[in-house]
Amino acid sequence: MTVIRPPFRLAGLIVLLGCTVQAPAFAGDVQVFTDDTSGLLSWKAQHPGFSLQFIQLLPDYVRAVYSARGLSEDVVELMAGYCVFGTIIKNESDQPLSYRVADWRYLTQDGQAHPIKTKTEWLKQWQDMGVAFRWSLLPDDQTFAPGDWSQGFTTLPLPPDTPVKLHYTWSQQGKTYEGTFENLRCAPARAPRR
Amino acid sequence: MKAPLKTCAAHRPGRPAASRAALVAAVLWPLLAAAGTAHAELPSPELSHELTRLENPGPAPDFMLKDMDERAHSLSAYRGKVVMLNFWATWCPPCRREIPSMESIYQDLGKSGFVVLAVNEFETPDHVFAYTGQLSVFPTFPILFDHDSKVSQAYGVKGLPTTVLIDKQGRIVYRAVGGRDFDHPEVREIVRALLARDAGDAAKPGSGGDASR
Repeated sequence: MTVIRPPFRLAGLIVLLGCTVQAPAFAGDVQVFTDDTSGLLSWKAQHPGFSLQFIQLLPDYVRAVYSARGLSEDVVELMAGYCVFGTIIKNESDQPLSYRVADWRYLTQDGQAHPIKTKTEWLKQWQDMGVAFRWSLLPDDQTFAPGDWSQGFTTLPLPPDTPVKLHYTWSQQGKTYEGTFENLRCAPARAPRR
Repeated sequence: MKAPLKTCAAHRPGRPAASRAALVAAVLWPLLAAAGTAHAELPSPELSHELTRLENPGPAPDFMLKDMDERAHSLSAYRGKVVMLNFWATWCPPCRREIPSMESIYQDLGKSGFVVLAVNEFETPDHVFAYTGQLSVFPTFPILFDHDSKVSQAYGVKGLPTTVLIDKQGRIVYRAVGGRDFDHPEVREIVRALLARDAGDAAKPGSGGDASR
């Protein structure tokens, strides 16, 4: 299995620049964006033929999504208690590619790597809580044909505004590739700007 | 970014708390997920027109679902037609973005034996009716309700939107995961090629356009 590590050396600086100038900043493969209205951040990693975006989602937004689906207060508050990112994955190549969330890790500030709670794990928990809803979360694994893409929530058990690294992988034509978002940050409890 | 706010009041009348939450969700998700940022120009993924041709088309699982008027639709009743089966939900930004293209191709090819069935996941007719009433393009194709997601599971749908094209023989011949521009000439060419085949034609699909892979 071949592992290819793209460079992300300036990602930290770019987060800072992105926050400051409120414009897309670019270094290596990661762009950082700041919403002028809310002040929320998003990150986009661009690799040859593959892109991955992480978008801060406010706890109130997460509450709204699940409340609107008619889920119980217990489930709504459970989900809002997580650090949730909107995640968009796209195959921009001319060959199939695949990913598995179970292979991804988030790294807390103490340097520990942790697995990411998968959709399957969430669905089991939801089922135990009497929830039939099965959408909104990023699918555990998918194989994308050229042009395919998907989106969904990625959940981390972290408090608002927590800095975190996230290591991701994807596979294509027998090779596994990897990358790291060096400077993700969970959404704050409230929008930085109103 | 210009958020299509007029399309976003996806709430169910008569449920104030949920309505407020749904409104927040409907406004924020397009801003955050589809376009990312309002002024930093994080692009939402372009809607491509690529459809994946399946090398070994298998039978499309039959189903019986009701539409907004409580009329039952079974897939088998459409045998002999070319069916675009689209799995979607109102909270899904790319689903909203591809609806106009679905309506356009349906308007143009519907009389030739082409059918669009939009299978909504987990939402209620009230909710969807309020939503579609505020779209700039009102969908005239049937919207069906897969309340328990059993049909989407039968089709192996992992994320929304997902779309399959079913030929006259009832086989899944193309698939697309993620939003698409179905109004593209190459997609039309694929549909026309499928329409041109006899229902009993065992020829492989896919001779009709560059949108296939």
